[in-house]
This record gives sequence, structure tokens and C-alpha cells, in this order.
Amino acid sequence: MTLDLDLSESPSATAEQLMIGYQRADPAATSELIELLSPGLYRFFASQMGNRTDAEDMLQDAWLRIHRVRHTYRPGDPLLPWVYAIARRVRVDNFRHRQRLASHEISDKIGCRPPAAMAVPNGETDELPSFDELVAPLPESQREVLTMLKVNGLSLEEVARATSSTTGAVKQKVHRAYERLRNVLHSSGQLVRKGVAP
Amino acid sequence: MCERCGRLVRVLQGRQPVETPSAQRLRQIESALLRDLKPVQPILPGYVFLALLSALFVATVAIGSLLLGVAGWSALSAGQRTVVFTVSGAGGALLAVSLVRQMFPGSRHAIAPARLLVAVLALLTVVEVALFRSQRELAFVSDGLMCLRIGVSYAIPAGFVSWLVLRRGAMLSPKLTGATAGTFAGLIGVTVLEVYCPNLNLFHILVWHFGVIVLSALAGLIIGSGAPWSPRAGTEPIR
Repeated sequence: MTLDLDLSESPSATAEQLMIGYQRADPAATSELIELLSPGLYRFFASQMGNRTDAEDMLQDAWLRIHRVRHTYRPGDPLLPWVYAIARRVRVDNFRHRQRLASHEISDKIGCRPPAAMAVPNGETDELPSFDELVAPLPESQREVLTMLKVNGLSLEEVARATSSTTGAVKQKVHRAYERLRNVLHSSGQLVRKGVAP
Repeated sequence: MCERCGRLVRVLQGRQPVETPSAQRLRQIESALLRDLKPVQPILPGYVFLALLSALFVATVAIGSLLLGVAGWSALSAGQRTVVFTVSGAGGALLAVSLVRQMFPGSRHAIAPARLLVAVLALLTVVEVALFRSQRELAFVSDGLMCLRIGVSYAIPAGFVSWLVLRRGAMLSPKLTGATAGTFAGLIGVTVLEVYCPNLNLFHILVWHFGVIVLSALAGLIIGSGAPWSPRAGTEPIR
């Protein structure tokens, strides 16, 4: 079953109220906040990791970090940039850790799949790649920004805040990612097979 | 819209399969958090920490002036004083703002923190090169080492107090925060030197005065590399 992930319409006001409840040690608010934010966070990690267990481990790590620094959320501020700034740190730390390990098995999991990985299944020429397949060849920084925008539904401003960057820098990153993806889609041969000029 | 763009748009706007974490893992997370659930006092507003860091800057320079004298200040022309201390103050203010924002995850940054470090150092260098000239100096090394020692001796306590302030927040990037705090502390040390040291030889300033900033920034980076991910402080119960 698929659903539109339009988190721009998410009840962010509710999330912020739940966060205040969490700071006040309200167990119900805490549980509800975990239920509310975990799918988006999981999806954010899953786009980097190759398997469910690793993504869930990162989700758990993220929540432990959120718990430790929950006092730094200021009531009245938007919650998503705060949460995703922490999540991003978990992702970056994990990425660097895996790069250091640098084993064959791990290098497959960090998403450096060649463009050929986007070949259409079963040889059908008109089936599009999934989002994860599409962004796999991108550098990590571009992949995370696109994931936050397109999967997690953050705005440009929220992504800029989560990545300690500026809106202009995020736009530039996104623009470069789109350019690269257009080129990769083209060079994957799908357009050539359809006889459409590049 | 060209075909390439159209296909890209269809993928990006297409329906994404919903992946969710397993119920078991969510229960584990919930259980861990609920076990340790205590009310916490939200951190003080950012302007409080900014005021503390600003007070640290001013107080350290004032103490340095009282203890070491103001021979450097006297040696500068009015124009040089205005430019040097305005730039030092502005650099300190920008670094302090960046540090405070690094304490709060998801804060707005007008300039990315790493770029700000480079920009402040570059601006200081440009200003010094523009204002001062190279001069003959007989005791370049011995005089320089003395300045370096003095500058570092003021940068160290400034860095320590900065750390006491920063540990109240969440240092998501300990290395970056450490380097920024080190640069901030080093700038405080350099400002003390600018008030005290009457040597206006450009190379003396670039090597020995700025050496304080370089050493402090490196020390901050190294300390940040070894620091735990987040500070120990912060989860005090509400009284």
C-alpha cells in the first residue's frame, strides 16, 4: 500500500505541543511524539542504509540523542528542524563510521550504487526508478537534502536550519542534485530506447 | 517541460511506499525513554548565552589591560584603533552568535559556521595587512614568543569559560564547535595583545598574534574531537 507523504501538511503544531509535554515528562505525550515522528525519521535513515535493522538502529540512536538534549528545544520554535538536525548528525556519524570501516559489504550499503542499478526491472522501458534508486548515485549531502525535502516534507528553510546551512546553499545543492539526476536518467538509456532526442 | 525533466518530476512527486519501523523497535524506544523520563527545564534563551560570551570577551580584555597596560593602544593612531578594535569586536560578536546557534539544533545560520570561521580569519588578516607594514625587528623570535605566551595565557581561561557556557546546549558537531570556540578564545587573546603590545611590525602581528588564534582553534578542534557527542549537563529536573 502506498500513501502520499505530504508532511508539509503534518500537524506540526501538535508535534510541538507533544514536545512540550515530553519536556514535562508526560508519558502519553512522549509515546505519541515517538509514534508521530518515527516513521519520517525511519524513512530518513532508510534512504541511507540498505536494511531495516540498521535504519532502526539509527532511529533508536536518534531518539536517545533527542532524549539527552530535549532541554535544548525552545517552545515556540518549529520542531522539525530541531529533530532533523539531530537526526542528520546521527546519519553523518554513521556514514563516517562506515567509511572508516570501509569493508566491501559496508560500501554497498552506503548507497554508492552505479547508475546501472537504476536499470528498469524486467527490461520494461517505461517504468520509472523508485526514489531510493534514483538518489543512490548522488553524493551523501545532496541525497540527504533531497530526502528531507521530498520524503520528509521539510521546507527549504527547515532543511537549511536542520543542516546548519542557508536557504541559498540548500537551493544550490538541490539544483545540482536535479541536474545530476536528469543526466543520470538520460544516460540510463531509457530516453534513448524510446527514441527521444536528449 | 522536456522529457528528462518530466520523468524526474514524476519520480520525485510519485507515490512513495510507506516504510515504518517495526512495532517491536518502537516499543523498545518508548520503553527506554519512559524509563528515564524526568521533567527538564528548557534551556535559557540564546540571548542569555550571547550576553555571557560577550561579557567574557569584554571582561578578559579589560583584565588584560589592567594587568599588562595599554602600550599597544597608545601606539596606534586613532584610525588604526577604530579599525582594529571594531573588526576584533565584530569578529568576536559573529563567532559568539555562531557558537550560541550551534548550541540549539535547527537554528538559523546566516553564514554556515565553518565558512564564518574562515571569513573572520580572512577579514582579520586583510585588515592587518592593510593597516600595518613590515619593519625590522631585532628580537623577532624572543619578543614574539613572549606575545604568544601572553595571548595563549588569556585564551586558555577564555576557552574554558566558553566551554562551561557551551556545555549547556547540544553540541551536534563537537569538532566544529570546538574549533569555533577555540577561535573565539584566541581572538580574545589577540585583542588583549592588541591593547598591550606596541610592536606594529606586520610580520610580528601575523605570526605571533595570529598564532594565538591558530593554536587556540587547533586546540579547540582537538578537544572537540575527543569530546562526547553531547554535554553531560542539561537534564536537571524542574524544581
